[in-house]
Amino acid sequence: MLTSEHAIVDYDFRSRVAKPDRLTRMNHGRYVDLAEKMLIIYRDGAGLTRRELHRRVEYLFDDEPCNTRRISSFCKLLDDAGEYYPDGGQKAARMRLKVFRLAAKKHPLVERKQTETLFGALENEESVVKQEIADDLGLSWQEIDDLLYADVISFHRLKTPPNYATAADLLSHYNVAQTQAALYKAQSAAITADDDFKTILRHVKLCGLLHEISRLDSSTYRIQLDGPASILRNTARYGVRLAKLLPALLTCVGWTFTANVKTPWKTTARLDLSPNSGLRSHLNAPPAFDSSIEESFAEKFGEERDGWKLIREGAILHKHQKTFVPDFVFRRVDGQEMFFEIVGFWTPEYLKAKLDTLKIFSNRNILLAVCENEGALEVFKEWTDNIVPYKTGIKLAPVLEKLNSFVMSSAESR
Amino acid sequence: MTVSLKFHEGTLLLDGLSQEKLRDIFSPFIWIKDDRVNKFRTDAIHYRIARRILRQKLGENFIDKVHKPVEIRWSKVRLHEPRSDQADAVAAWRNSKGRGLIVMPTGAGKTNVALQIMAKLEMATLVVSPVRDLMYQWHRNIREGLGVDAGIIGDQLYKVSPVTVTTYHSAAIHMDKIGDKFSLLVFDEAHHLPTDFFRDAALMSTAPFRLGLTATPDRQDGGHADLDMLIGPEAYRQKLKESKHLADFYVEQIKIHLSDEERDRYDGASKAIQFWFGEKQKEKKGYNRKDLLSEANENTKARRIKKLMCLKDSIEDRAAEKIRVLEDIFRIHPNERVLVFTGTNIMAIEISRRFLAPTILSHTRKKERQAVLKGFESGEFPVLIANQVLDEGVDVPDAKIGVVLGGKASVRQATQRLGRLLRPKGASKAVLYEIVCDDTREILQSRKRRKGDAYERTRHRRL
Repeated sequence: MLTSEHAIVDYDFRSRVAKPDRLTRMNHGRYVDLAEKMLIIYRDGAGLTRRELHRRVEYLFDDEPCNTRRISSFCKLLDDAGEYYPDGGQKAARMRLKVFRLAAKKHPLVERKQTETLFGALENEESVVKQEIADDLGLSWQEIDDLLYADVISFHRLKTPPNYATAADLLSHYNVAQTQAALYKAQSAAITADDDFKTILRHVKLCGLLHEISRLDSSTYRIQLDGPASILRNTARYGVRLAKLLPALLTCVGWTFTANVKTPWKTTARLDLSPNSGLRSHLNAPPAFDSSIEESFAEKFGEERDGWKLIREGAILHKHQKTFVPDFVFRRVDGQEMFFEIVGFWTPEYLKAKLDTLKIFSNRNILLAVCENEGALEVFKEWTDNIVPYKTGIKLAPVLEKLNSFVMSSAESR
Repeated sequence: MTVSLKFHEGTLLLDGLSQEKLRDIFSPFIWIKDDRVNKFRTDAIHYRIARRILRQKLGENFIDKVHKPVEIRWSKVRLHEPRSDQADAVAAWRNSKGRGLIVMPTGAGKTNVALQIMAKLEMATLVVSPVRDLMYQWHRNIREGLGVDAGIIGDQLYKVSPVTVTTYHSAAIHMDKIGDKFSLLVFDEAHHLPTDFFRDAALMSTAPFRLGLTATPDRQDGGHADLDMLIGPEAYRQKLKESKHLADFYVEQIKIHLSDEERDRYDGASKAIQFWFGEKQKEKKGYNRKDLLSEANENTKARRIKKLMCLKDSIEDRAAEKIRVLEDIFRIHPNERVLVFTGTNIMAIEISRRFLAPTILSHTRKKERQAVLKGFESGEFPVLIANQVLDEGVDVPDAKIGVVLGGKASVRQATQRLGRLLRPKGASKAVLYEIVCDDTREILQSRKRRKGDAYERTRHRRL
């Protein structure tokens, strides 16, 4: 990741929109060539110091009219993706103390003795002392001098070049990294999502953000994101967490993202993203199904049966920070909904957590498919009758029976 | 219905009271209804007052779930007897209910004041300092004075102990996790606290006791007014001029000239820069450095001009004659400890490689730093080279000779830098050499340095 010192953000004052630096094929075609050359510099640069590598990259950009932050961003991304030799910090520090202790006895090291004065006889010449120390340590002075400050970060030497496969890889990393850097100044964000909201929500929680969920229509939800202190004052301290969410978000489909970003003029601007923004994640897309039991059930049921549509992870049940996304929703044309959760492999802790969650949402219509093994069935039967037991796969008949009795009972109650 | 209060990521969450009831008992009202969690929320800094009021009004019905920091029994306290002004400062802070600012000049023993307070309170303490060097120095002082190996948060370490040292940056980042672990916060060089980000270090902690230490509380952005809320009111102020413990010192300015080659490059760069600005000002009135910097992002010619400006700085900073002057200063004071301040890391390393003298730089590790400082104190190392990292409060043994080799100076920096030489040890006068390039911008910076309070008592000589 870049730091906020690398961020290049364009703020449009009229529309109050923040645009992170973005290199596109259309406007920045020459960057493919530049990126290739940068990769060559690093690939051929094993053994060179960080400082030398950066100098070469800077030189490459001599005729390119761009923000210098762009150049240092590329250097940072390349540095991070490669590996430098461990700095041998202890070794260099030990060498320094050793050399400086020896030299201290000869202080001050003068360039040339003042032969005309009496004091001159007591003085020590730099070159002589350095040679003496080198002889003392059994090394050449050049070797000592090379090691003396080898632990300074800009003198570290490249061991393994960065692992970007192509120039395009580097450029798409750059675009994501710049958007992340712009998000460091974000005070809050909102995501609307349909298909992948369960996955998105899971990532939101992993990033330690607080959320408020509202339903926009039957399948679309809005997740408002910020952190604990955000309600007390405008703060960008959760911007880093939002930035960390981005690569995961980019693997998902069917979302829009809007962040409120603090500008250098203490106003705020909007930063909008969607899967069509042209950003590509370096992470893999999430698998479509949690387990094979779900997958085979969905196949057996088909898209629609007996007037019920089957929607995978089609709803979020939420109460404050507790959320529950059932595996499926059965939805009728008249809008009636039955949630369907498959209780699969477990540990006692898993069962307890699941039961606790279900209790919070006990006022909702939830149908459970529970595996008959290992006493799980008993645990849930104590609490609800809405259970379809299964052994190896979920059968359709008992599920449809439950669904139909649900329609009848709700018709009666009406 | 019981009412509970708990710590949550740098804030307090209150559960079990209605808005009306809460408004009845809290004035001023510090709470905000947080619908995300269906509770009331406020900054952790309000813990002391919130707990008092809730206990008072609700008695048994109030359950305080906020973690209680541990108490400490110091096993071996070995502190210097406080001088009378230090004892006054300790008493003044206690009178200010354990929340307040102590303003003392550098060298007057702020560290000893803080350690005295820590020794008496016997509470879990977090010491926050601006840079890593100072953090390590607190670590050392706590071990030597209070016999405890403190935890460290920062410099890629994260070890939380009942006594912990950290930096403002790390404290602001981590306070949402550690905000309920300490009863006393010590903010060293407290004028750093009131930035948008750093202030979280104070807002997100439940610590009821807070001590701020500084020589220069004023900030140019007016942020010092917030110190009152974040730490407490000014409890004690000792003017630099009242201090009886500081040694007198001279400032000797040495003007050097660039070599012909350096001068050629310098003048060439100056000309190109002047020409650029001349042309630009024809197009746009008042075109300045800032305009150039933003233009440099779009225009390769402007970028070259920007590079030339950096080159000028670098020629000034690394002028060869500085090294020769330094050699002469070492010659004049062969038996004295000499402290050399440079403007950049590169220059510090260059001098170190030339004279084979130790450096303290921002990345210098604890072990080496301690060896170097100890060696300098014992006289094993006659010279110590540092870049800006030693600017503030770093305890350097009583050097009498200081050399400033350029470097951009603000008034505050100058006070702090000179403070290094003002340690109340020994009787002889200190000398501060300022080596500046003649006819360059460094002269201007040197004039600016002189405006600081610390210079008022100094005499100036020319070599």
